[in-house]
Amino acid sequence: MAPAPSLPIHPPNGPVNGDASKQPPQGRSSQKSMTKAERRELQEKQRAAKAAAKAGGPVNGAPSKQAAKPTPQATAAATPKRPTKSNEAPAPTASALRTQTAARARAASVSVPTPANARGLRIFSHFGLPKPVSVAKGDIHPTILRLALQFSEFKITDYATPPNNTLSRHLMTYLSPQISHLVAARPMSVTMGNAIRQLKLEISGSDIDLPEQDAKDALCQKIDNYIRDRIIIADQVIEETAGNKIKDGDVILTYARSSVVQKVLLGAHAEGRQFSVIVVDSRPMLEGKRLLSVLASAGIQCTYILLPALGAIITEVTLVLVGAHSIHSNGAVYSRAGTALVAMMAKLHSVPVVVCCETYKYSETVQLDSFTKNELAPQGDLFSSFPSVKARDSLTLENDEHLEILNPLYDLTPPNCITAVVTEVGVIPPNSIGSIPVALGRLL
Amino acid sequence: MSPPLAAILSLSQLMVESNAGTMFELVKELHDGAEELKRHTTNPISLNAGCELFIAFVTLFPHESDSFAELKTELVKQGQKYAKEAISYRNKIAELMLDFIKDDSVILTHSYSRVVMRALLHAHKTKRISVYVTEARPRGLGVKTHEVLTAVGIPCTVVLDSAVAYVMDKVDFVLVGSEAVVESGGLINAVGSNQMAIIAKAAHKPFYALAESYKFHRLFPLSQYDLPTHNPSILSFPSLPPRPFVTPPTTSGVSPPIAKSGIDESLNVTPTSSSERSMSAEMTAKNPDVDYTRPDLISLVFSDVGILTPEAISQYLVAMFAG
Repeated sequence: MAPAPSLPIHPPNGPVNGDASKQPPQGRSSQKSMTKAERRELQEKQRAAKAAAKAGGPVNGAPSKQAAKPTPQATAAATPKRPTKSNEAPAPTASALRTQTAARARAASVSVPTPANARGLRIFSHFGLPKPVSVAKGDIHPTILRLALQFSEFKITDYATPPNNTLSRHLMTYLSPQISHLVAARPMSVTMGNAIRQLKLEISGSDIDLPEQDAKDALCQKIDNYIRDRIIIADQVIEETAGNKIKDGDVILTYARSSVVQKVLLGAHAEGRQFSVIVVDSRPMLEGKRLLSVLASAGIQCTYILLPALGAIITEVTLVLVGAHSIHSNGAVYSRAGTALVAMMAKLHSVPVVVCCETYKYSETVQLDSFTKNELAPQGDLFSSFPSVKARDSLTLENDEHLEILNPLYDLTPPNCITAVVTEVGVIPPNSIGSIPVALGRLL
Repeated sequence: MSPPLAAILSLSQLMVESNAGTMFELVKELHDGAEELKRHTTNPISLNAGCELFIAFVTLFPHESDSFAELKTELVKQGQKYAKEAISYRNKIAELMLDFIKDDSVILTHSYSRVVMRALLHAHKTKRISVYVTEARPRGLGVKTHEVLTAVGIPCTVVLDSAVAYVMDKVDFVLVGSEAVVESGGLINAVGSNQMAIIAKAAHKPFYALAESYKFHRLFPLSQYDLPTHNPSILSFPSLPPRPFVTPPTTSGVSPPIAKSGIDESLNVTPTSSSERSMSAEMTAKNPDVDYTRPDLISLVFSDVGILTPEAISQYLVAMFAG
């Protein structure tokens, strides 16, 4: 994932010489504006996903487990080609851009190891291509090809209904190739699917008689509402509910970095509860370092260990709090690789495992293992500027003729290892996750 | 009348006497009333369940009437109607339970529970059953169960709390009542229920819980110590004065014989003292009243809304309280 501080950020006019790693100042400035821009970032991610803007990654980046790290090659390749078009990349966009490009950079194919790596590299270079030749109906909007995050709003407002066509029908067909282009770049994730489905529902439900501009405004409003209700407010509700489970004297264990869990811990600390946190981290992403720095600067007492050391400290732990990429109707939780190990270990030691997850991550499908659907971590240097003992070069693994690197990003935690799932509609036991649509039906 | 029903009736009464002019004020008054009720009891869990159920009902009640006063009277009427109906819930549960009790069943139960009593007495009318009941220390309510059952002619034996594992192989199934059934599908009941459930699971015997629907609670305990009834004094160690350092004796020791003779003396001196010892009140206070049984240990929950698996409890609660 993306170690936060030194993410290469591409300034609006693209990196000067394609060497993205020389962007620390840019990265840092957008880093500062991150908290303010974080919300914007999430919004933009959602919009992009919904309008099937090119960036498939951001939606998945919402849980921040996929905090971005653009691979130098991909971004470098793409941006120089359209320096002028990237001109609307203010700091928030830059951070969103970062998340996007990173996520996209990580868009490797699914499970099969050896061909996947090779295929992965090919997908990278694909980003640098000009717009694809096969265009179904109407052109693929040039913005979709940009690495800059195109907000669905921008696309929808940009879009103009051809004469003699209703907005709802034409917009739907207009969006379909965009969506399939996205899916080609990165396998459709649960959250992306949910968002796109919701958008399509809104489009098809839009009133035929409305003037075009009104219809578009209404759609944009619906998109904004989705982001606000299902992501931002949901996070606040989860923060409060999960925070109530934290008692004075607790030793809370968390794995890698989940933005929701981070909010829960910061919120509980702000309320004055006394607890300490153990952050468990693992290679290659080492996302836990970022969480550690945020928590430590807030004044929470933290311990940092790597995953293999889990067995040594599990007896000290009173509560395990993790996030999720998606939850499935059989109660299984699809989350950062390593979460399943943490949950299983905790179960053996009778430590409750609480998963914090918004309802937009719920999928009606059943997931039984982590082979059928997974993604691979990108190649190359993923390390932050955190001081490390060894030279960065020696820690970076690259494929060579005798070595294939396989780093799946996700794994599946079976429902019997989970004690409770905290969503914005309530605290639900894993075997009853199927009641989420019922609960949502009441709310919507 | 069980605490949740009493709570519902008292809150209805509160509504009758309230001067609230808007829904918001009314709900606030109900919350305050509920808080007051909870303050006066040591074990507020089932009371909580009833209060929350009533307040949720009031909030979600469809407003058809134009005037607020009309709405209030309607709510009060509904509240009282509910309480009256709820009295019949135990009979419904007893009826549902009947099919699961075969002739010559041996049933193990815990402490004293009115709904379990109702179910057993109902079954006794048409079937032959015999019952083991645990003593359920420290309150010893198991003895009360024994009295009631023996009075109607059901063969009943009181079993030590520590002999549950000993007796489990002779038992066909375990039947307990409940203080509350929680969101996870787990059970909160008198302390000893969790133990019984674990032993039943190990011996592959079904564990059934009987619970009226007003005992369903949105609480979600993550562990025994996450219960609202748990406080730091429970299971705490006393702070003892530091032990004086005694130089170890060179021979077999002077101290032990003195202590022993002390005990012997006391036994000899008071021949009427029983050979049993009991916990002092202080010791008992360090022990919990209720415990939490995990949903994976429970086979079925019998309730007036039907026979539910523990997973279904959450779905029921979500459907009832969500939105």
